[in-house]
Amino acid sequence: MKKLILGILSILFVTSSFYAQETDKEKEVQKSHYNINKFRQLKQELPTPNKQHTASGAPGYEYTQQQVDYKMDLVLDDENQKLFGEENITYHNNSKDFLEYLWVQLDQNMRAPDSKTPDIKGGGPDVLYFPSKFTKQFMGKPFQGGFNIEYVKDAHGKDLDYMINRTMMRINLPQPIAPGGTFVFNIKWWYNINDYLSDAGRSGYEAFPDGNKLYVIAQFFPRLAVYNNVEGWQNMQFWGRSEFALEFGNYEVSITTPKDHILNGTGVIQNPKDVFTRKQYKRYQEAKKSFDKPVFIVTPEEALEAEKGRAKGTKTWKLYAENVRDFAFASSRKFIWDAMAVDMNGKTVMAYSLYPKEGNPLWEEHSTRVVANTLKIYSKHTFDYPYPHATSVNAQRQGMEYPMICWNFGRPNPNGKYSERTKKGMISVVTHEVGHNFFPMIVNSDERQWTWMDEGINSFVEILAENVYDSELFPMSKYPKNVVGYMSGDQSKMAPIMSQGDNVFNFGANAYAKPAAGLFILRQTIMGPELFDYAFKTYARRWKFKHPTPADFFRTMEDASAMDLDWFWRGWFYTTGNNDIGIKEVKKYYVTDKPTKQAEKMAKRYGITVDQLPPSLYLVSENSDEFSSDLKNKKPEDFSILKDYIEKNFSEEEQKTLKAPKYFYELTFEKPGDLVMPIIVEFEYEDGTKERKQYPAQIWRHNDREVTKVFPASKAIKKITIDPDEQTADVDLSNNSWPKNKETKFDKFKKKQIKG
Amino acid sequence: MKFSKYIIVLFVIPLFAFSLHKYYISLCEIEYIKEEKSVQITIGLFLDDLEYSMNKGLNDKLYLASEDEVENIDDYYKKYLSKHFKVTVNDSLQTYTYVGKEYDDDIVRFYLEFPNISEFKSISITNTCLVEDFPSQQNIIKIKVDHFYKTFYLNNKNANCLLNF
Repeated sequence: MKKLILGILSILFVTSSFYAQETDKEKEVQKSHYNINKFRQLKQELPTPNKQHTASGAPGYEYTQQQVDYKMDLVLDDENQKLFGEENITYHNNSKDFLEYLWVQLDQNMRAPDSKTPDIKGGGPDVLYFPSKFTKQFMGKPFQGGFNIEYVKDAHGKDLDYMINRTMMRINLPQPIAPGGTFVFNIKWWYNINDYLSDAGRSGYEAFPDGNKLYVIAQFFPRLAVYNNVEGWQNMQFWGRSEFALEFGNYEVSITTPKDHILNGTGVIQNPKDVFTRKQYKRYQEAKKSFDKPVFIVTPEEALEAEKGRAKGTKTWKLYAENVRDFAFASSRKFIWDAMAVDMNGKTVMAYSLYPKEGNPLWEEHSTRVVANTLKIYSKHTFDYPYPHATSVNAQRQGMEYPMICWNFGRPNPNGKYSERTKKGMISVVTHEVGHNFFPMIVNSDERQWTWMDEGINSFVEILAENVYDSELFPMSKYPKNVVGYMSGDQSKMAPIMSQGDNVFNFGANAYAKPAAGLFILRQTIMGPELFDYAFKTYARRWKFKHPTPADFFRTMEDASAMDLDWFWRGWFYTTGNNDIGIKEVKKYYVTDKPTKQAEKMAKRYGITVDQLPPSLYLVSENSDEFSSDLKNKKPEDFSILKDYIEKNFSEEEQKTLKAPKYFYELTFEKPGDLVMPIIVEFEYEDGTKERKQYPAQIWRHNDREVTKVFPASKAIKKITIDPDEQTADVDLSNNSWPKNKETKFDKFKKKQIKG
Repeated sequence: MKFSKYIIVLFVIPLFAFSLHKYYISLCEIEYIKEEKSVQITIGLFLDDLEYSMNKGLNDKLYLASEDEVENIDDYYKKYLSKHFKVTVNDSLQTYTYVGKEYDDDIVRFYLEFPNISEFKSISITNTCLVEDFPSQQNIIKIKVDHFYKTFYLNNKNANCLLNF
């Protein structure tokens, strides 16, 4: 019977709220709407799963991927800064489609005199021009960059028909390549290498005062575009910012350089005895056993000696790389080379650094150690690093990644001193670029389309790796609050993360910092490291050496964790919204056994008397006129209703463990921000003790602006703080505390100054 | 094609920005606190970029936020700000007080204040910090007065903003 009445009452409670609305208001025609709940599923945003990209986020049984193998003979002309190449390409059509043509990427054409890249940059004149800038910009001749294609021939030496559309070249095939078929062709080309310090770019050369050059060469050969199950041909133009989509394959490359150059690149040197001195060769072999510290292969003294001369002859470096998506190399007579072995579950991987003397002492102290740390930590979060080496090359003002090799900035002052900042910048760029081996060199997302999938994900793992390398220099507490400045900005100057990279404002914040901060929040606050790490690893393993899409990432993270994160992806990745949660009001309640007016009203409306209500306790707000001060001294157990119930229903043992709260608080949280997030609340009691409570984000599912919550406490609350550790990128902290804290950050600083 | 090179340089500068913190941005937050009659300004700049700009034309290089920093570094900062960060409140000649600076990781944050502003009628800002040396530098100004918020994005083409209440 008691149960029945309670059942009825609960129905009554629900219906009574409808009545309240309908009474004295004139009827308005209300507009209907589609599902606008922030927790609705992402069905409309995500592509329909299929047999290639499955609903679980894994590759399907009909997933296909092309393979492209390259053989190249290159000549680096140091005197004239030109690069010549003869390239033999074997294209494997693993798809189920007939291909009528092939698309080849010609990135160097972005630097050609007729490039359209400058044309899409709008805006009026600058505020001021230095004479140097003026002469260069308005009076100079454009740099003669871009590919010079000498021929495109088939395997039998017959000319192939082709058409160049800026940075994309279409090879018109005599017959379509059948599914499973291969096609072999040759391209001969050359181009002028750019001085990247004055003409910019992610590769080129740096000239030193004595005339020596340091080459970092990449995006240097015609490369096949990706043909995949999602985009067909990924042949969006290269405008200079959104990077690459590339196929995996094997590379056999020979590079002819001046005789006194030192070179390393993607892949393993096949003829070390030919290119190193006998001593260097010995050290090159011995380094493979040095697991505890870096050792020199090319010593600073040898490099110093080499850079003084200009050898006449040449030598040829032969490199071979398996299952890589690209090829790059660095060459100079200035290079010092050090090395350290890294144990990857029984397999030895080499960590290498190549740098000029200008990088020391910073580079010999940190670069190779940072490479080793990066390989270890990234492997822990993904899969064992599968390549034979990872190389960090010091190049002024660069930070750019290729398989097994990357260019990194960071040099001390000429007096050899360097600040903590220089050191920090250098460690973070080495970590970041070496980390790119995992994303996107191996987990090979489409960078032309989705910058965040490699930059954002990589920047996230970078946070974890740097913290292991030096936790003082790289504290985790910086995240995610580092994105608050960006996220609280003007909405009209923002694009969602899920935007093509060329079209976003604030590239760095949009494609690097925000997605990284989002994943950081997911790991630390929403999912917890255990659930997150397993799911993240699953994504990396499922898609290593494959082409994942955003949906594959989103789906895998849910598939492997049993957490519905659609609301998080929707808010953080598909919108420009920010998070702002505040505490609006706190009401104190006391317990009474006297039915409140509300209870009386309810009883009346449904035709029962107050006495017919089942025996109950009621909460009275401190501010209401039903409140009398004697309630303040009463504990819930003082009321016989509760006391009797407890005595009747619980054993003596059990009774001891029951603790009735003394205070009841009604907390009203407001949410001016557009995102939904968990509410993290810290309660500070009068005795100074603290307690935390985290309400899941789903607390907002019925009301996106405001929610109330009853919080029972055995001690009086002195202070309430929302998100005390700034874990949720809350953009406005002025509403995060009760009682309101009026002191601004500025006031605090000023107070400190006066004291100090 | 005479414009090409000039625009390429502008366009490509952000391409150096591959490490997380390497984008060219400053954030200035301005808040008027009526009870204190105070216009409070904080402006944060990347130390690397500021050091580069401040060292131009100096014989003795400044090493900001390091052991080798000179004792009177605040004088250099004040001088730089007075040249590159000009603020006028209520069209008056009064200028801001330099309350101090703090180093926060790779950023220096300046605290500047206009005291004794009993009524906040207008503010105009000219911010040319770093834009001479970093063409893609974007200087963000956020203004907050009670529940009113306004954000301006300044750069080397437009270095001024004005707000009237």
